[in-house]
Amino acid sequence: MSADPSDTSGLREQIAENQQAIDRLNRDLARKSNEVRIIQQISSEITSTLDLDEVLGIILRAMDHVLAFAHSMILLKDVADNVLRVAATRGYAEQGAGAQVRLGEGVIGVVGERRRMMRIGNIGASMRYLKTVRARMESSGEVGPAEAPAVLPGLTDVQSQLALPLTVKDRLVGVLAVESRTPNAFDELDEVLLRIVGNQAATAIDNARTYQIVEQLGRLKRFFSPQLADLIIRGGADDPLKTHRREVTVVFLDLRGFTAFAETSEPEEVMGVLHEYHGEMGRLILAHEGTLERFTGDGMMIFFNDPLPMPDAAERAVRMAVAMRDRAAELAVRWHRKGYELDLGIGIAKGFATIGAIGFEGRWDYGAIGTVTNLAARLCGEAKPGQILISPRLLPEVENLLEVEEMGLLAVKGLARPVKPLNVLRLRDPA
Amino acid sequence: MIPDRVVEVLHGPTWIQIGSRDEALRPAHTVAVGAVVHDDRQTVTVFVPTARSGRVLRDLTGNGRIAVGLALASHESYQLKGTYISSRPTDDTDRARQEARRAALLESALEAGYPEAIARPLALGLAITPGVAITFRAEQVFLQTPGPGAGTLLS
Amino acid sequence: MAILPDDIKAAMQGVIPSHVVTCSHDGTPNASAISQVYYVDADHVALSHQFFNKTKRNLEENPRAMAWVISPETFEAWDLELEFVRSETSGPIFDIMEMQIEAIASMVGMKGIFKLRAADVFRVTAVSKAVGERIPLAEIPRAR
Repeated sequence: MSADPSDTSGLREQIAENQQAIDRLNRDLARKSNEVRIIQQISSEITSTLDLDEVLGIILRAMDHVLAFAHSMILLKDVADNVLRVAATRGYAEQGAGAQVRLGEGVIGVVGERRRMMRIGNIGASMRYLKTVRARMESSGEVGPAEAPAVLPGLTDVQSQLALPLTVKDRLVGVLAVESRTPNAFDELDEVLLRIVGNQAATAIDNARTYQIVEQLGRLKRFFSPQLADLIIRGGADDPLKTHRREVTVVFLDLRGFTAFAETSEPEEVMGVLHEYHGEMGRLILAHEGTLERFTGDGMMIFFNDPLPMPDAAERAVRMAVAMRDRAAELAVRWHRKGYELDLGIGIAKGFATIGAIGFEGRWDYGAIGTVTNLAARLCGEAKPGQILISPRLLPEVENLLEVEEMGLLAVKGLARPVKPLNVLRLRDPA
Repeated sequence: MIPDRVVEVLHGPTWIQIGSRDEALRPAHTVAVGAVVHDDRQTVTVFVPTARSGRVLRDLTGNGRIAVGLALASHESYQLKGTYISSRPTDDTDRARQEARRAALLESALEAGYPEAIARPLALGLAITPGVAITFRAEQVFLQTPGPGAGTLLS
Repeated sequence: MAILPDDIKAAMQGVIPSHVVTCSHDGTPNASAISQVYYVDADHVALSHQFFNKTKRNLEENPRAMAWVISPETFEAWDLELEFVRSETSGPIFDIMEMQIEAIASMVGMKGIFKLRAADVFRVTAVSKAVGERIPLAEIPRAR
């Protein structure tokens, strides 16, 4: 450090350098304040809601108002497949919700597949260039005629796109994308800003979706076993609680002699028997993955092939019925010793039913309605203690499994012709 | 010697670049506006803004090696390689030809899909005057359209 | 050294094709157009390399090149004196190029057909504005 007071040039240099440093700091500070502003705006709104649509709306509104991106969209990835679905858009004439992009297709698809942000500003020029190369390759015989280009959501004649993968703990949640008809519309600062939004968006979206799933799971668990509820959610199937028609195999069972038993026994004894009976039968229902539609006292109705499709519904129904008969026979030994005259009867039928949520707000049941349920109930009513009466319609699917005996004609209300049920004697080879 | 199609391109709305090199093999570049093929179909004159001609002319008078790249807006491209002959300032005839060429470049850029906001300044913004006319003998002509066959010697 | 100015980035988006001149060992220059010169950092650029060609062959004999880029916004142009450093087949700049090609290829029905061979990285040894090449924007006649 020079002590000479006339060394002004060195001093001037020093001041100039300091000024440059100050300018740089000011620029960084201004940018940082902008970033802070964006973060604050978005986080306070996002953390106030777990509703997915609201979260998406907040994100896209912020992109527009705070960051001046005129056209933006959010796509979400399903757990199951390799497809990104448009979940929300802003700045487009049509909503475009539900439009799909496969991983690897277009800017958005490639970003989703590679889990890397991408910015491109020359889409038109690039496409023209590749088309020229393509034409040359075609005329030289190197490739065949072009396949159809990917149909992508968004602006026609788009020139610039900037897309960011939304990830939570290495899992791809979706893609956040902005685009423009102007070439070279986005720059590095836009990348930085999008990343900031993206970080918050990914977490908020994931939380909202998790909440959605938990809610749905909770709702389904009121109707179905936890495993079934889980399977339904994973399968991404349509909401089973919406009314629909399906061909199902219905099993009806109840205890012969229960009414008399209930009238003549102590309430605690009755509850005890029911508890044991439900517990044992319930275990078998879960084991065979049947859907318990209802139980009223000693009567239970179970059906197969809904809400999850099962190609072997009839077989499962019959195996479950046989297992129930065996178990009930064991229970009956104890019951009879106590003087309870209780035996199980089972009826099984197959046919179309209308299925969905039945009831009212606060008290819903998952119900099935149709001739098939009447028939199964009637067959159960006809069954003597220890009998499993099945409708002949099941026979093609199960005759190899069973030894059966024919029973006589049975008239059933609602059916034009009487039915000839079969009694299941035993399984040919016990499972 | 120069194939018909290439003559057509040289007289058409083509983007032209000139490449040269110095004694240390350091490449140099300039943009040219407009070209004329002489009757012998081997001698070619290209027109370069004077302000951009310095380094290239030094190279050319030094070793004579010249490369001329041609590209249409459709990406159809060719390259001529040859030997420098002479240069002179451009005259009114040259400049008129260049103006027509600029207009043609604008049209072809728009047709190819460039937005007006880019095509217009890109084509009409090329400086014409003052200019230098550089004449050379084309010795090799290559196809340079991107894709298979790029680099093929045509003549 | 940080010699590339910030405003050159707009010229490196591939909106308007660029030029590159190389020179073989025996002193023959080669002039070709390229769709994009990629900005790597303030001292480096990259060219994408799909087809093996004379430009690449020249660079292996003589690493010096001259590139010309023009901004689609201001229409300023720059001459870049380059020196070939290396070819990359992985890494951030290769990934960026590859992703762009994949995206565009799928948009023209060419998915999987067009392959990026390498990203050729160059050090920028000098950059200068291409002065006198263009007339001022204000003097360009407007569309009627």
